[in-house]
Amino acid sequence: MMSQRDRMAPIITSLLVAMVFSIIPLPEIVEPLRPYWVALVLIFWCLETQGIITLGAAFLVGLGLDLLTGSLLGMHALGLVIMIYLVTRFRARLRFFPPWQQALSVLALLVNDRIVVVWIISLRGDSLPSAAYWLAPVVGMLVWPWLFLLLDRYRGISRHRAHPGA
Amino acid sequence: MARGDAVVGAKFSGQAALTARLMMYVLLAIVLMAMDHRGKYVPRMRAYADYLVEPIYHVVEWPVRALRGTWSFFQSTQSMQRRNKDLADQLLAQQAQLQRFEALEQENRRLRELLDGSGRLEINYQFAELIDVDLDPFSHRVMIDRGRDRDVQVGQAVIDGAGVVGQVEEVDLHFSRVRLISDPNHALPVQINRTGQRTVAYGLGNTGLLSLPNLPREADVREGDLLVTSGLGSRFPGGYPVAVIETVDRAEGRMFAEAMARPLAALDRGREVLLLKKPLPQPLPERVAGDATLESDQDSGTAEPVTTESQPDTDIGQDGDGGATENPGQDEPVAEAADEVNDSGADDEGAAVAEEQS
Repeated sequence: MMSQRDRMAPIITSLLVAMVFSIIPLPEIVEPLRPYWVALVLIFWCLETQGIITLGAAFLVGLGLDLLTGSLLGMHALGLVIMIYLVTRFRARLRFFPPWQQALSVLALLVNDRIVVVWIISLRGDSLPSAAYWLAPVVGMLVWPWLFLLLDRYRGISRHRAHPGA
Repeated sequence: MARGDAVVGAKFSGQAALTARLMMYVLLAIVLMAMDHRGKYVPRMRAYADYLVEPIYHVVEWPVRALRGTWSFFQSTQSMQRRNKDLADQLLAQQAQLQRFEALEQENRRLRELLDGSGRLEINYQFAELIDVDLDPFSHRVMIDRGRDRDVQVGQAVIDGAGVVGQVEEVDLHFSRVRLISDPNHALPVQINRTGQRTVAYGLGNTGLLSLPNLPREADVREGDLLVTSGLGSRFPGGYPVAVIETVDRAEGRMFAEAMARPLAALDRGREVLLLKKPLPQPLPERVAGDATLESDQDSGTAEPVTTESQPDTDIGQDGDGGATENPGQDEPVAEAADEVNDSGADDEGAAVAEEQS
């Protein structure tokens, strides 16, 4: 049995890296295509571990992201809580989907999140985003299988390092 | 939070508990957003919580800066020489302009003595550099690398070599966030340099365009007119160039002409900016100072611009209209306009002095 700390370390590290990636500067043309890294990483850990990525954890991560991007406090938190709710609800099914089907579900989750964000933005009276805004979930879907493999590998390595005998 | 979960979990089971928790967090998020939007408590908490995420900005900033340093190291001598020559040319041209400024400054001082005018306002600059991070893509904001440790204050005007960039909105320890004039929630009191006509320039969420929706139909506005800050609203000192008029639309059946203007500052590609440190002549009430960013400005300004008397915000537009069209005979608006011109002159003068000093 792994200790709590051993299980948390890779999750926190990968989330921090995802946060860095979500504000790293990109050329203006590519910028709207930036995948929602934090959400993808959260979905992965929610699928692969039990009882760590709770709704409360998703809420806190979302608040961190709100502070980081300077958006309305609670905007990302709301989106991520809804997303993790859906993932937890359908976790049993999602886990055993073949990769392409899993990627499609990720697309649905990301699009759903964008709808929530657009709703908040329109309530606030800001200008609505361009059409390219809806391409980001597609990029997220394309990235998903590779990110899954990468995180799975990373998880294996960190587990091995914590328990060399296992 | 975990204890709350456990309590809820004991009462419900499985799906129901999950849904209940979802509702709880959704409600919490909505309350937070509403409070943040209304500016209640949350912004102050935010100022402290921002320290938590500051290290991440450093992590992002460092490799970008290192890359840029390496890049400039490997730039060919030829391109450096070309750049050097360009800069020398630019310097020469600007020195020629400065000579003229000196003469103007002398003249201004003389005239001021004649008028027994008040002391002039000196304006100091503080250099700042943009930080390469992409913030929330829905509001037009940028980060600069000066914060509370360098005495940056909320509301300071930010300009670059060509024109007005925006104003400081949040100040952290080492960073500040600047709202650009192109942000859809930003309104900037301006005046047309050629005629003195005053109006308000609104951002459109597009770095290449500003909108001037409430110009009088008969106003003398042309393509190519320069817009400068009018100094009203007490946020931006007067006389700084803002934008150039691109199109004027005098559509039939509308009360006002609408003009579009192109900002002069490099809003989407600039790297270096200047923070203006202005000595406030007298502390103004908070509401007046905050007017430039109030969202209600936009709504009331465009929706029912006729009844300006009752509007708290459009004293700017009212003055401009009054001075230009309605009652040119009355003393008050004209005197005010003259005052305004003096002020902006003083600002220019101060600017010239500051430039000479630096």
